[in-house]
Amino acid sequence: MSSYAIISKLGRTCYVTAISDDRRHILQESVCGFKHMETFSTQYVSSRHLPRSDVLPVIYIITPTYTRPVQKAELTRQVSTFLHVPNLHWILVEDSPKRTALVSELLLKSGLNCTHLSTETPHSYKPRGPSRDSHIPRGTMQRNLALKWLRETFQQNSQQQGVVYFADDDNTYSLELFEEIRATHKVSVWPVAFVGGLRYESPKINVFGKVYGWKTVFDPHRPFAIDMAGFAINLQLILSKPQAYFRFRGVKGGYQESSLLRELVTLQDLEPKAANCTKVLVWHTRTEKPVLVNEGKKGFTDPNIEI
Amino acid sequence: MRMKLKLKTVFLLYFVVSLLGLFYALMQLGQHCDCTDQLLLKDRTVSQLRRELQKLQEAFRKPSESEKLSKNPSLPTIYVVTPTYARLVQKAELTRLSLTLLHVPRLHWIVVEDSPQPTPLVRDLLAVSGLAYTHLHVPTPKDMKLQEKDPTWLKPRGVEQRNEAMRWLREMAAAAAVEQAVVYFADDDNTYSLKVFEEMRFTQRVSVWPVGLVGGMRYEGPVVENGKVVRFHTGWRPSRPFPIDMAGFAVSLRLVVAHPGARFDRSAQIGFLESSLLQGLVTMKELEPKADMCTKILVWHTRTEKPKIKREEIMQKQGMGSDLNVEV
Repeated sequence: MSSYAIISKLGRTCYVTAISDDRRHILQESVCGFKHMETFSTQYVSSRHLPRSDVLPVIYIITPTYTRPVQKAELTRQVSTFLHVPNLHWILVEDSPKRTALVSELLLKSGLNCTHLSTETPHSYKPRGPSRDSHIPRGTMQRNLALKWLRETFQQNSQQQGVVYFADDDNTYSLELFEEIRATHKVSVWPVAFVGGLRYESPKINVFGKVYGWKTVFDPHRPFAIDMAGFAINLQLILSKPQAYFRFRGVKGGYQESSLLRELVTLQDLEPKAANCTKVLVWHTRTEKPVLVNEGKKGFTDPNIEI
Repeated sequence: MRMKLKLKTVFLLYFVVSLLGLFYALMQLGQHCDCTDQLLLKDRTVSQLRRELQKLQEAFRKPSESEKLSKNPSLPTIYVVTPTYARLVQKAELTRLSLTLLHVPRLHWIVVEDSPQPTPLVRDLLAVSGLAYTHLHVPTPKDMKLQEKDPTWLKPRGVEQRNEAMRWLREMAAAAAVEQAVVYFADDDNTYSLKVFEEMRFTQRVSVWPVGLVGGMRYEGPVVENGKVVRFHTGWRPSRPFPIDMAGFAVSLRLVVAHPGARFDRSAQIGFLESSLLQGLVTMKELEPKADMCTKILVWHTRTEKPKIKREEIMQKQGMGSDLNVEV
C-alpha cells in the first residue's frame, strides 16, 4: 500500500509531512519554534481473523506508544486482545521522529487493520525519569495527530459509522468493553479501575440514567473527572467539531480529558455504559519498569536481539 | 352590552373552531398516510441487516483456522499451568492472559489458586473465558507465604500450586492413555506471544528458549552451538544447574508422568526453583532449543505495578469506601 501525507497546520503547533511512495521521505522543517520530522503511512491489511461487517460501526483505537524495554511486550498483548474484536482499526502513534522498525514489523505481523503514525514530543515536554508529572501530559501530541488523521481521512458523513477510543498500551481491556464502546451515539462513559488512588473511579448516574457527577476523590469538580480509558466518542462528533483537540499547554494535572470533552459534549449528553456504570470492564494497569542492573554500562546482552 | 356581546362571539367562535377540528381529526382516523419514503428506507435497512446477519452467521458457522486445528487430534495439547492469588490486579491479569490463550488451538488452561477454596472471581472468569480449563486450588502454608512488606524474592511463590497441577496431570494421565502433550508453567503477569506456544508444542522432553526482561537483563537464555545447548546466558549465578526462568521452558507430559516424584522444591534457594524440577528430568545436553536456536524473544517477564489506592484506604477508614460488590 503506498504511503501518503498531508501538509497541515494546527494552531501554533505545526505538523509537516511529505508526500511519499513506499520510499518514506522525511521532510524536516522548523515551524513555530519546533522541529518536527514526521512521516506516516496507512496500511490496510486485507487478511482478517474475524468476519467483517459493513454495517457494524468500526472502532478506531488510538494508542500512543514510545520506545522502552517493555514496549514490544505491551503491544504484543494488546494485539492479542484486539484480534478478538471485529471491525477494529488500530491507530498506533509513536512518540518518535520516525516510525521504528520494531513497531512496523509488529503491526505487519499482527493481522490487524491499522494505521501507523509518528510524531515526536518536543524534548522539553517529555516526562523525565520515573516520575509521572501529570503537568506534562504524555501522549497528547500523538493522540492529536490521530484525531487529525481521522479528520483528513473521513468526510463528515452519516454513512461512516465509527467510534473512537483512546487505549493506552499498558492498560487491560475486556472484550465486553468493546461492544459497549460500539454503541456510542455521542460520548459514552464507564468506570475505570485503579485510577485516582481508588479501586475504581466512575461517573455518578441518577435515576433517569443520566450522568450528574463523578465518583472520584481527586478533584471531582473537573468538567469531566474521567480517565482516558473511561470514555469513547462517536466518529461523526469528532468530524463535526474539527477544532476539538486535547490541549497541550497550560493543562492542570487530571484536566487533559476535560480539555477535549468540553469541546464536544455536555454532561447531559453522556451515555452511561457497563450496566449503568456498575461494572468494571477496563483496568488502568501499569507495568513495572524492568531493572536492567546486570546489563552494566557496556550492555551484557546482544543488542541485535530485539526484546 | 357591547362587551358582553363580544364575549359571546368569542366563545361561539372558539366552540365552532374546536368542533371543526374534532371533525377533521375524526375524518383522518383510519385514513392511509403517505409514508412511502419512510417505508422504503425501513425496508432497505431491514433487508440490509438481514443480509448482514446471514453473512455473519455463515462466516461463524465456518470454523476458523484455530478451531480446525483445535479439532485435530494429532496436534499435541498444551497444558498451561498458571498459579494465581487474590490481589487487586488479579482479574485484569487473568483477563488479558485468557485473551492471549484463546488464540492457541488445543490448549488446556490449568489455573491453580493459592486459596483454601475456589473463589467466585476466578470461577466466573474461567466459565466465560471460552477456554478448556481446569480450576484447582491449594493454599500456600502460612509460614511460607510472603508478607505484605516482604520483597518478592524472599520466598518462592506458586510452588504448591504448580505441584498440585502436576499431581492433577498425573492423575488424569493414569486414567487415560498418555497422549503426546506438553506442560508449560505460565505466570499470570508475564507476556506471551502466540508464537511461543507453537514452538513448545512438539517438545519431546524439555524445550527451552530465551525470556525477555528477566535476571536484571534485557533477556536471559540458553546459548546454542551446533543445535545443542552448551551453556546459559545469564547475569546472575550462571553456575546453577538450569539458570532459566519459569517461562523459558516446557516439559513433555510423558516426562512428567514418567517421573512421579519430580516436583518443585519449596526449600530450594532463591533462583534454584526451576533447577529443582528440571535436574530430576533432563540433562543440559538433552534440552531442545527453540525460538530460532534461542535467538528470538517470544516471552517477556513483565511485572505489573501494585495499584496505589491510598485514597481508597482513607475512604474505607471513613466508612465511605467504594462499593465492594463492584468487582475489579
